[in-house]
Amino acid sequence: MIPDTLAITLVGVFGITGSAIVLLCAVAMFRANDALSRINVFSPATGLAMPLILLAAYIYTLWHDGFSLTRLFMAVAGFLALIVVSSVASNVLSRSTFAGGAPVWRHTSPNRLSEAPGDEDAGLTEYESTLADFDIDDSEH
Amino acid sequence: MMNPFRAIGYSLWIGKEIVTGTVDVLTGIFKAGEYGRPMIVELPLRCETDVEITLMASSITITPGTLVVASAAADERSRATLFVHALFGESEADVLEGLYEMEDRLLHMTRGRKPEPISSWTAVQRPSGEAGSTERSAQ
Repeated sequence: MIPDTLAITLVGVFGITGSAIVLLCAVAMFRANDALSRINVFSPATGLAMPLILLAAYIYTLWHDGFSLTRLFMAVAGFLALIVVSSVASNVLSRSTFAGGAPVWRHTSPNRLSEAPGDEDAGLTEYESTLADFDIDDSEH
Repeated sequence: MMNPFRAIGYSLWIGKEIVTGTVDVLTGIFKAGEYGRPMIVELPLRCETDVEITLMASSITITPGTLVVASAAADERSRATLFVHALFGESEADVLEGLYEMEDRLLHMTRGRKPEPISSWTAVQRPSGEAGSTERSAQ
């Protein structure tokens, strides 16, 4: 149904690209600095790499066994489930990470969850903002 | 009921965003120094219904480089708000611009027309004199 060369090329390209993205995402998770960033850099693996591997598997079955409506349905259902489940799961992961009190990397700036827009104390330490509250000049120390 | 052709167009656009986001995440590995520039921005939504808000949160999260960290429900004083962790934005304004473009496209899909621009609704929809209204419209 598909020429051998085309099938092998497509399976190879999609499968290897997908696997390489998963591998590089794992490296990116080591480079990232806090839990939120790690969840963030994991989304290429679930959002792009796994659908690509699924596509490679579907093309392989199509080439090997010929077209079957059941297989097409399985592939489409798997694709949609990957997209929906990965986005919902990442949402749940990140919200529970934050609600669970995991530390956010200190160079996360601006961090609107810890400071309001227009906050006059933004970027100050607690000591500095206390001094500013009472108009104390601490510059000579 | 939303237009199926618009839904397909929006899905294709999200697919393009996923690919460009993936390129950002992967090229970031090979840059020296700290990985990315993380920030958590506040995104007041123009989305009204539960479906729109859920689709918006899922669209943000499925795009590599942006992640919904927390959400705040709408009340009489403020819009439903998402707090978004962004890893590769140049600045807060840059990230918000990208998110508003996504929201424009999403609402165009669900409502069949483009929503009002952000500048007009912040002025009109927010009761004047409320605490926080000037700060938000300044963004």
